[in-house]
Amino acid sequence: MLQAARTEGLNIYTYSELDSLKGFVGNFDAKIRRKARYVTKDCNGCGACEPVCPAISWNDFNEGLNPRSAIYTAFAQAVPSIAQIDMEKCIKCGLCQKACELNAIDFDQKDIIQNIRVGTIIVATGWDEYKPPIGYLGYNTYPNVITQMKLERILAPNGPTFGHIVRPSDGKRPKRILFIQCVGSRDLNKNTYCSSGVCCMISIKNTKLIKQHYPDSEITVAYVDIRAAGKDYEEYFTASRKEGIRYVRTNVSRIEENPENHNLIIKMQNTLRDSLGLQEKEFELIVLSCAMIPPIGIKKIQRLLKLETSRDGFFKEFHPRLNPIDTKIPGIILAGVSQSPKSIADSITSGRAAASSAARLMSKDKYRIALIRAKVNKDKCAKCGLCELNCPYNAINLLDDGADVNEILCRGCGTCLANCPSEAIILRYYKENQYEKQIDAILEKT
Amino acid sequence: MAGTIRAQYPPTIRPIRINCTGRVTPSLMIRAISKGADGIIIAG
Repeated sequence: MLQAARTEGLNIYTYSELDSLKGFVGNFDAKIRRKARYVTKDCNGCGACEPVCPAISWNDFNEGLNPRSAIYTAFAQAVPSIAQIDMEKCIKCGLCQKACELNAIDFDQKDIIQNIRVGTIIVATGWDEYKPPIGYLGYNTYPNVITQMKLERILAPNGPTFGHIVRPSDGKRPKRILFIQCVGSRDLNKNTYCSSGVCCMISIKNTKLIKQHYPDSEITVAYVDIRAAGKDYEEYFTASRKEGIRYVRTNVSRIEENPENHNLIIKMQNTLRDSLGLQEKEFELIVLSCAMIPPIGIKKIQRLLKLETSRDGFFKEFHPRLNPIDTKIPGIILAGVSQSPKSIADSITSGRAAASSAARLMSKDKYRIALIRAKVNKDKCAKCGLCELNCPYNAINLLDDGADVNEILCRGCGTCLANCPSEAIILRYYKENQYEKQIDAILEKT
Repeated sequence: MAGTIRAQYPPTIRPIRINCTGRVTPSLMIRAISKGADGIIIAG
């Protein structure tokens, strides 16, 4: 990211949102809302403002595990290294202004709307972690039930505990840890899809990591199926089993808490060894391996880019097998988890594929289109607007003199002419009388 | 799909290629029925 920020000709707008998008491949007009940080570009990220700030909020970067001040830097490696103010929490006391030697704090800063013209757009909206409903498997009810992302932050050397594994209830090191897989995924009542084995591999990685730090840890993974599909993944899984991590195929349905020491008691049955029957086990920490779900903002991006989403909520590709990179709109390309849950390696593959797909379009001066496009006879057009409403590619605009087809956005599907009550639209090479002749020829009596 | 699974269909079915199922107008369907077609499948 830092290297990208230093590259000439590459503009990065962080803390910004897309406000509107017009145009077509090669000529997109995007309005970008660069949100007010309330800190000017003079900030050098020294951090002198943070300790003096009396307003406290939770640190989103650390999954809310530790507090942060209302004036903060998103995370240590944030680009650009400029602090920002969380105006919902700020009490406007002005202490940060006094602490700032560079006078970089400006409470009157406003959002900037920036217009940019681009040729192609790559959508890389990423993902959110599935948040189980409160009480489901003890989530948000028992302090020692955490999600995988929280464990990631706990195990991170730059995290709130500097990489030492502690449990939330008493800050002690948990010895007996249970990972529960497929929380919110592969479940007909929640998300039906599998998060591409990402949660399986993260769990295996974290069990290995904890075992390396503390060899006396007793780690159990309650799984439905371990999906270790990928280069060297199966070997990685086998290695973790050899290190003594127990994998139990089971469905955990109920978690209870021992109120004295906040340990968690679960009942589970190893479905591969039914003779053992229902066993009661006690754990000190439970990690829920939650599904990857589309981020909250995906609906807004979908509306602005006029894309479709698949049943799982991620963006719909042009074709799931033959073209999983492009979208139905030429010039808008998907990268990474915006299309479907992916591991880091798959996201890199997808990102590079998106870059090459964009480069293929951008390297040419001209964009070739097929001639099968809708054409409006403006003398017949009654300006009812049905075509504009029904066009799946938003290629039709109703102008004063009738409907107008943008020949680059139009894909020649013909939905507009099927809906046109005044028969004012024709589709080149697929005209009504051509179809009529075909029908007549097929049904001709011999 | 019939092609990819190597399925065979009876010779009394005659496909007409359209660009999109949205392209099919009621007048085309009525024309086919009135000319003697037993039924129409719109598949996409």
